[in-house]
Amino acid sequence: MLPWVYEFHWTAFHITFLLIFFTVFVVVVSTVILAMRRTQQAEKDNTMESIQWHSDFDDLSPAFKVCRHELNGDVKHRVCDHGFDCRSCTVHPLLVSKQQKHPLLQFEVYGFTMPPYRMYHRGHTWVQEENDGTYKIGIDDFGTRILGRAYSVELPPVGTRLSVNGKGMLVKKSNMNIRILSPIDGEVIEQGDSEKGWYLKVKADDSKKVTAHLLKGEEIPNWILRELERLQISFATCGVGATLADGGELAPDFHRHYPKADWDGVIGQMFLEA
Amino acid sequence: MDKILIPRGLQRTSFGNFLMWILPWTAMLAVGVYAIYLCLAEGLFHTNMDNRFAFGIWIFLDLTVIALGAGAFFTGFLLYILRRKELKAVINSAVVIGLICYSGAVLVLAVDVGQPMRAWFTFWHPNVHSMLTEVTFCLTCYLIVLLIEYIPIVLKNRQLRQIPKFLVFEFQLHKLMPVFAGIGTFLSFFHQGSLGGLFGVLRGRPFAFREELGIWPSTFFLFVISAAAAGPSFIMLTTWLVEKITRKQLVKPEVYKFLGKVSGTMLIAYVLLKSIDTLFWINSTSPGNGFPAFEFYATQSFGTWILFTEIVFFGLLPALVLLNSRLRENRKILLGAGFLVCSGIMLNRFVMTIQTLALPTLPFDDFLTYSPSWEEVATFLFVVAYGMLLYSLTYRYSVIFPQERELSQMNGELSQQEFADGGSRRPFWQPKFVTDLLNKFVSTKL
Repeated sequence: MLPWVYEFHWTAFHITFLLIFFTVFVVVVSTVILAMRRTQQAEKDNTMESIQWHSDFDDLSPAFKVCRHELNGDVKHRVCDHGFDCRSCTVHPLLVSKQQKHPLLQFEVYGFTMPPYRMYHRGHTWVQEENDGTYKIGIDDFGTRILGRAYSVELPPVGTRLSVNGKGMLVKKSNMNIRILSPIDGEVIEQGDSEKGWYLKVKADDSKKVTAHLLKGEEIPNWILRELERLQISFATCGVGATLADGGELAPDFHRHYPKADWDGVIGQMFLEA
Repeated sequence: MDKILIPRGLQRTSFGNFLMWILPWTAMLAVGVYAIYLCLAEGLFHTNMDNRFAFGIWIFLDLTVIALGAGAFFTGFLLYILRRKELKAVINSAVVIGLICYSGAVLVLAVDVGQPMRAWFTFWHPNVHSMLTEVTFCLTCYLIVLLIEYIPIVLKNRQLRQIPKFLVFEFQLHKLMPVFAGIGTFLSFFHQGSLGGLFGVLRGRPFAFREELGIWPSTFFLFVISAAAAGPSFIMLTTWLVEKITRKQLVKPEVYKFLGKVSGTMLIAYVLLKSIDTLFWINSTSPGNGFPAFEFYATQSFGTWILFTEIVFFGLLPALVLLNSRLRENRKILLGAGFLVCSGIMLNRFVMTIQTLALPTLPFDDFLTYSPSWEEVATFLFVVAYGMLLYSLTYRYSVIFPQERELSQMNGELSQQEFADGGSRRPFWQPKFVTDLLNKFVSTKL
């Protein structure tokens, strides 16, 4: 095995065989070390959240990754491959320019209160621009109803930097911990609560591009309709079984009707956690 | 009970059903552990092998599972090196099967050698001229590679992925998978080949002896190609079996067809080379060693039918079926052909080990017979039980088939009736009254 070990011979066979073996061994070990170092580097560079989101997004089924332009009917079928961040998508600007914009006027969308002056993230948070150029962030009505009545929200402290699709806040309900994705990049400047109707006030990094990826106006009803379908799918795969669309609204506290359901699974999937 | 460990969006049988499923395998595992203990603690006299019949069920098992586990390296090679994205749907399953096959083979080898405390000798004082040294080194290294490839599957567990570092490490490791796939292919080429290369030095056994092409005998290449042919078929069969047991569609039909095509392509190459090799052996190698080849088939138990079965029935026939795109459309025919391929590789490894040693080669030799002892069989079954348990646990608590979520959503397969018992499916192997009793028990406990 080694020159000083009994039965080692300085022959071509010995040297070639052991060189190949040691090369393989070194490559395997150094590749693992490289993966570990990159993990450490990601921690230093604060890119862990972005990687986590990409991993989560990759594990979502294609039905959960439908492009916003498919929801709007701009294209027949398209699966998002940018982690719901349209700012890095090259197709998005082309499709936006073709859209005919009709502002949404109604507040109620399929039984949910979705004010049209707000912009919505696919992970069920809303963003509202304030007069001073800051943004308020909250959980939308769809998300609030899925979470039910008894839950608490853990907010990032003032000064924390948020990044799109990184962890925005943490919802705690029974034994569940659900991370809510941040809808925009920016710095937390104030904390809110459920009584105020919003959870975070954020000073955005780049006011021009900060909301390009968020759903607006007439996109909202199409998206909510698809979310209702997605909720049905999540129910079906989390122990509730088949449910039928009856055209009705989501009951405020429907959790108690399905005590045996895997609620962590349902809520996690709806908030885009794999 | 263990809902928090089950991946989101995936339906698994109830905990009670799962316990019932793993119970017999655990019992089989326990018997195997006892048999292994007897062999290691008291000696190899517990086996029915002796100095003349040194290749028993264990070596046959080793060669077979290593060939069947080749799906791991070959799928990895096709996916990560040749970029055949279709195979992403089965790569995790291939890795788990590869890990089971290789770790099982290494364990049985350790028992077969019978000196586990001196196992390190082979690494520290290697005989570099021995094909088996190459096999030992390559097997060990590849087992380490498989373990590394298995880590990302485990880290994707619902609870483990909550730890950010684990998930990021999994992500980084996944990005480096082409490196491991390349090393796996390199190592597999050599250990599969070296197992076949062994027959290049078996001059005293002219039935199996093959002449060298360059520095390696023809069996070196035949073992590599046959393993590459059987691996995809075995993945196809195991995937179908898991689908049957879980009553779910886990991969899209295109994946089966692609695996079948790959298997068929490799198999036709193998059949061609094997036929040339056999003709050369019949007309040159065997007579050159003083044995007319057909003398080897004079014994009734191993007549020429075995050669015909191996090359034509388990080789040419499934190869032609798998290469026909129309026949691949029919799932039963496709799986039937895959079954023949796997049977073929088993028969080939049986012929090269058991039949080789049973046949007389010296004038005073008799036809040797061998039947394994219960300890040998129990050790064999240990690997089967261990494989079933590892696969079942990985399937339950991680995502083996990435298309499962999408397919279960597309199929809308879950009906109200199936959840009438509180969200658990009745496995196909369990009578209804047992399911009812279990659910009653679980709900009372809760």
